[in-house]
Amino acid sequence: MAKSPQTPLSRTARLLDLVPYLSSHQGIELRTLAQDFDVSQSQMIADLTTLWMCGLPGYTPLELMDLSFDSGFVTIHNAETLARPRTLNDEESIALLLGLDLVIESLPQERTDLKTSAMELVGKLSARTSIPAKLSAIPAMPGSVRSLIESALLKKSALKIVYHSSYSDTISTRLVVPLELRVEGGHEYVWALCHNAHATRVFRLDRIQSAEVAPLPRAQPMDVAHAQSAMIPYTIRIHSRPREVMERFSLDKDSLDKDLQLTSYSREWIRRSVLASAGSVEIVGPDDLAQEVAAAAGAILKEYIGK
Amino acid sequence: MSRKIERLINLTIALLATKRFITKSEIFRSVEGYEGSDETKERMFERDKDDLRNLGVVIEVGSFDPVFEDEAGYRIKPEGYELDLGSITGTQVALLSLAAEAWRGAALDGAAHSALTKLRSMGVESDLDSLPAIAPRLNTAHKDFQVITTAIAKRARISFHYLTQTLLSQVRTIEPYAVATKNSYWYVAGLDVAKGQLRTFRLDRIDGQIRSIASETGFDIPEGFDVFDSLKSEASLNEAVLDIRKGKAQLLRSTALTITDLGEWDRITMNYLDASRLVDLVLWHGQDVLIISPKPLRDNIVARLNEIVESHG
Repeated sequence: MAKSPQTPLSRTARLLDLVPYLSSHQGIELRTLAQDFDVSQSQMIADLTTLWMCGLPGYTPLELMDLSFDSGFVTIHNAETLARPRTLNDEESIALLLGLDLVIESLPQERTDLKTSAMELVGKLSARTSIPAKLSAIPAMPGSVRSLIESALLKKSALKIVYHSSYSDTISTRLVVPLELRVEGGHEYVWALCHNAHATRVFRLDRIQSAEVAPLPRAQPMDVAHAQSAMIPYTIRIHSRPREVMERFSLDKDSLDKDLQLTSYSREWIRRSVLASAGSVEIVGPDDLAQEVAAAAGAILKEYIGK
Repeated sequence: MSRKIERLINLTIALLATKRFITKSEIFRSVEGYEGSDETKERMFERDKDDLRNLGVVIEVGSFDPVFEDEAGYRIKPEGYELDLGSITGTQVALLSLAAEAWRGAALDGAAHSALTKLRSMGVESDLDSLPAIAPRLNTAHKDFQVITTAIAKRARISFHYLTQTLLSQVRTIEPYAVATKNSYWYVAGLDVAKGQLRTFRLDRIDGQIRSIASETGFDIPEGFDVFDSLKSEASLNEAVLDIRKGKAQLLRSTALTITDLGEWDRITMNYLDASRLVDLVLWHGQDVLIISPKPLRDNIVARLNEIVESHG
């Protein structure tokens, strides 16, 4: 443990914050206290020992802080001077202001009481700092979705989700048992057993439009191996707009070659991505995939005739 | 190291507890830890003052006795030292906790955690039960995210390499006004110093380090500045008409201004900001979305499609 940096300054900051925390949490367990400050128990004991030597000038028992922690529970007395928490620094204020904006946007529409309450906090925080109040955080999905997924993960229970699949452009309702939450490339994904597909599937969180708790279906044999469907290898050539191509195909800037060998789980995704690149990308192989793209482009052109 | 920490804490307590300014000699006499020659003590004290200031503790300097102006006095005002959010409810503490929790594992995790510790020391019980079950989360932005937030707070310019369309890395210097996140992307907005205009940058397009440029002048953030307002007003300049097959292209539908039923198709009007992005989006939907107007965009799509047929045929 002991993840917090150990410079004299960071320790001083921690000790200054420890006093008000103890004053408002008298009798807290040493173990809990160490966890709350993200340090090891032995580090916490060292901190408390240092604090024990501090107090008002004079430094007789009357002026020193009175700490007791040998029983595994910590109490503090005679610490009135430092008993109030320190004011927030710029970084902390920014973290809270952005967080609050996200909370406001995530609250259910009808809870105007809570929104007003949170706005009042934004006003107070920005009035006390040099930070402009208008830091925006707009959530990518309804606020309740994530908390439902987190609780389903804990309870190993099922959820009914309404999911918008970007590459098949369909909205479907699925019964899933979440297995894992993961962040990749700036987006959050949930791995889940999908009872509609009878396999594990990956869902991007911001494309889950709503979620609700659902009864767990009768155990069915899950063809997990089936989920590992074969990867489709293909090769592209970049003609223009490399930044968009790089972002669309999740490429690394430093490995941008003329012809790039890639893989994907889905032919449909490849076809749509190449079309959406509007000519800045060309499929150079395999031939059947190139022909599929040509056929798709031809079919769209037909639609334009007579429109 | 403990000795130094003890001294800093003792100095803070002494300066907080005093109602009047206390002089350096009083501090050396009464605060534990100042030892050695006068010169050593002086050096210690100067360093300690700097250290406390770096921790955000404001030390006031003043004269405690107008007759002896030669000796400066020091004190810390409790009003400046202590967190004061006025009267605050348990529900509000819970809202602040949720705001701090949103950073778990992300860029400002450490700052959010220490803020939470301070909030929990206010002696107001957090009333989480009064909130609906939501768990909003902020995703990690750029590794130098803190450089931006510190620069906004300190009104310092920042400089970075930004990837252009053609992947050229251009140096941009801005006066940062705000950071924001939308659709899982992070943005920083501010005044582009070279162009003299407001610009918004996507953090994932910043190539390499973000550097803060120290300057004495600083700058003002326009009152009521809103990152997304500027984008919105520009977006309303262009209007497109699209035909969308029934039940398809949900994302495009959600941006529609008007929808007319044409039977097999719906005709929608929408505003757009970036023509090439609209073309990409329409093409992504294949045979399900056609662009009707503006004509240049429609001609552009037909030309692109012919190009694709030719190169892949």
